[in-house]
Amino acid sequence: MTETTVDGSMLRSMFIQGANNLGNNVDRVDALNVFPVPDGDTGTNMNLTVVSGVKEIQQLHSANAGQVAKSFSKGLLMGARGNSGVILSQLFRGFSKPLADANELDSKQLAKAFETSVDTAYQAVMKPVEGTILTVAKDAAKAAKKAAKKETSIKEMLHAVVAEANASLERTPDLLPVLKEVGVVDSGGQGLVHVYEGMLAAARGEEVTEASSQLSMDEHVQLTHHQNAQSQLSAEDIEFGYCTEVMVRFEDSKLEQHPYNEEGFREELGQYGDSLLVVSDEDLLKIHIHAEEPGEILSLSQRFGELVNIKIENMREQHSALTGEKAAPAAKPSPVAEKAEQVKEQKPFAVVTVAMGDGIYDLFKGLGADVVIEGGQTMNPSTEDIVRAIQETNAEQVFVLPNNGNIVMAAEQAAEVSEQQVQVIATKSVPQGLAAMFAFEPERTTAENEEAMKEGLTLVTTGQVTHAVRDTTIEGHSIKEGDFMGICESEIVSSGQSVTDVAERLVQAMVQEDTEIVTILTGADAKEENTSYLVDYIEKEYDDVEVEVHAGKQPLYDYILASE
Amino acid sequence: MATKWKIITDSTADLPEELVKELDITVVPLKVIFGQEETFYDRINLMPEEFYEKLREADQMPTTSQPSPHEFETVYRKLHEESEAGTKLVSLHLSSQLSGTYQAAQIAADQLSEEGLDIKVVDTKRASCAVGIIVKELAQMVQAGVSPSTCEERLQELLEKTEVYFIVDTLEFLQKNGRIGKASALLGSLLKMKPILSLTADGEVYPLEKVRGRKKALQRLGEILREKYGTQPVETAISHAEVFEQADSVLATAKENVEVVSVMKSSIGPVIGAHVGPGALAIAVAPAKNN
Repeated sequence: MTETTVDGSMLRSMFIQGANNLGNNVDRVDALNVFPVPDGDTGTNMNLTVVSGVKEIQQLHSANAGQVAKSFSKGLLMGARGNSGVILSQLFRGFSKPLADANELDSKQLAKAFETSVDTAYQAVMKPVEGTILTVAKDAAKAAKKAAKKETSIKEMLHAVVAEANASLERTPDLLPVLKEVGVVDSGGQGLVHVYEGMLAAARGEEVTEASSQLSMDEHVQLTHHQNAQSQLSAEDIEFGYCTEVMVRFEDSKLEQHPYNEEGFREELGQYGDSLLVVSDEDLLKIHIHAEEPGEILSLSQRFGELVNIKIENMREQHSALTGEKAAPAAKPSPVAEKAEQVKEQKPFAVVTVAMGDGIYDLFKGLGADVVIEGGQTMNPSTEDIVRAIQETNAEQVFVLPNNGNIVMAAEQAAEVSEQQVQVIATKSVPQGLAAMFAFEPERTTAENEEAMKEGLTLVTTGQVTHAVRDTTIEGHSIKEGDFMGICESEIVSSGQSVTDVAERLVQAMVQEDTEIVTILTGADAKEENTSYLVDYIEKEYDDVEVEVHAGKQPLYDYILASE
Repeated sequence: MATKWKIITDSTADLPEELVKELDITVVPLKVIFGQEETFYDRINLMPEEFYEKLREADQMPTTSQPSPHEFETVYRKLHEESEAGTKLVSLHLSSQLSGTYQAAQIAADQLSEEGLDIKVVDTKRASCAVGIIVKELAQMVQAGVSPSTCEERLQELLEKTEVYFIVDTLEFLQKNGRIGKASALLGSLLKMKPILSLTADGEVYPLEKVRGRKKALQRLGEILREKYGTQPVETAISHAEVFEQADSVLATAKENVEVVSVMKSSIGPVIGAHVGPGALAIAVAPAKNN
């Protein structure tokens, strides 16, 4: 690294610090989500996406700038979660394109990389919306180009990029009215600004470390387990059998004997297992590891202080219990379920879908879905999770039903990356997914199925009842944290403190003259008396409408409704 | 060489009473058994409306049984004696995939052919009013004095081109009676559905379409008919298990989508009813005769 060029190792630290800076600001970005629903949060998704990129470049030791960019882009691509994560991964894919095998970059080359990053991301989005991360990236790239014309200093050029990215971010509410109404800037744009800021800091020789207090250990643990649950095929495949979590309170006396160094400790623990996470601040040290000898981990941790909390779980046992439970059919053994098991070897068609809640899982399985990825509102699966599920089906042609607007792009990215023939049917809700699944017939051709499924999802209207995670005013509704909200398709149609009242008004918005069936999927927290009240209400109010109730057992959404 | 046909069928053809008399069709009844001892002859001492009422009250599903070869033998012998010389008995029955009726008739016919009786037993590979429509067409030709060779040509056309579509309220009855065929794939679904079922060329039940809601089932049925028959004029028959209004809307749908030249309406009788359950409906469609 000189003042006027970026080499491989500099680019690597720019990316890592960009990621760290975003990681340190996850909560801030999450708080910018427009809808106050407990949904896949932008900050979390973008952070998990860059973390995957960092993992990839951490394995590179000496590499030129082109290789670093390519490897970062690959990590991002597979780790992409949520639409903003996918766009971020496309931005860095575009960034790496013109670099090829360049050893180092000057300011003009760097500006060119910013430019192609924007072109690539715009192409990847079917209907680009201005006032989002795309606009911020575009404006920043323009600033990069302008700066590079007269400026050879990398620092100065990146300074111009960050300044314009921030300015552009401030303008997003002018471009996207809903941002203005809610009084926020675009969350994806904010995330990108944090990444760029981290990159600038690196270029300036400043250090952006992962601030442990900001980084949610639980989130990482959840993520790691989520990935494992998807990838482990059998209990025997688990190499490290104990999920071990330790919290240590540092003690000065012990630290004198054993000075603590996070990087060093991480390397040391790395020999004992995988899925390792080490987080520390001044007072506390948290460790998560899958290890075969949890006792060793405890001893090693204890050198630095007092053990505050210990959790050790046998994952082989858990896995057997989990798969055993999932394999058992919900009610009575049906011949279909058995048949599905037998024909799992190479079949012409398969369906991969995403859902949360045991009851919804059963509904999808009953309609013939091959793999149901656990995920949805609060946990958007990554591109890689979807790719893996597609592989698992071992079918020639795979249909993917994402069942959530924020998973559609990751599914499309997975379709592109996957070696099998993959069609994404862009279902944006569970009811749409069920309707599409209902239209699926394994006996039909791909084209016929695609058409039937796409038509199927248009026949259903989705309604969801959830609670607000913060106060806001949106679409003319003034909503308090904890209030229930009724959302018809993507519009908030009712809100208030009574779940039945909110659901009732939601039903009014959903039921049309030709509605025949209203299906109610009850959430894990739905109360039976509320459900029966709702059923009675619909039956009394709408003569021609038949009501069907299933225990969806989904988290966060008290009711998911479908009218068709 | 036969100079004339005499048409025989069984009670599962779901033919309207008046037509049976008018066209001089002989109908051999199958049996419906409630519980252990209560045995009824289909459409003889158990009419459709009585059957559905009994079904509602019964705590056990009724079973059905085919006529024995002996019963067919008795009928064939009697008809042979009553008919003028040169008459061929043509006995048309429901799909051998769904019932042993065809086999029983064939056994009787084989025995009697040794005595020189001229009997043709046909496996129509259809069921309910689809058998009915074939029988009706032929009986009309016989009554009009059409030659056996022309009747034979028309029979072959009807066997090839007559389709039947069932909309059932539940798959429970088909499943319990083991007639579900390829529609078993639909059983895993927890969602309620109105499957449109049909019969394969071999006469086995298969799911043509799974639909949610009556209106959508009707709409889809209309599309299926249009795709299948286009502008060709068709004869239709509708049988239903006590769903009069729905039968009318199915008929209206058919008329909107294809050129219907005739309609035969009837109830789904006890034997078919025991397999498809209350609320079921069948529409059979056959190409009209070229004049």
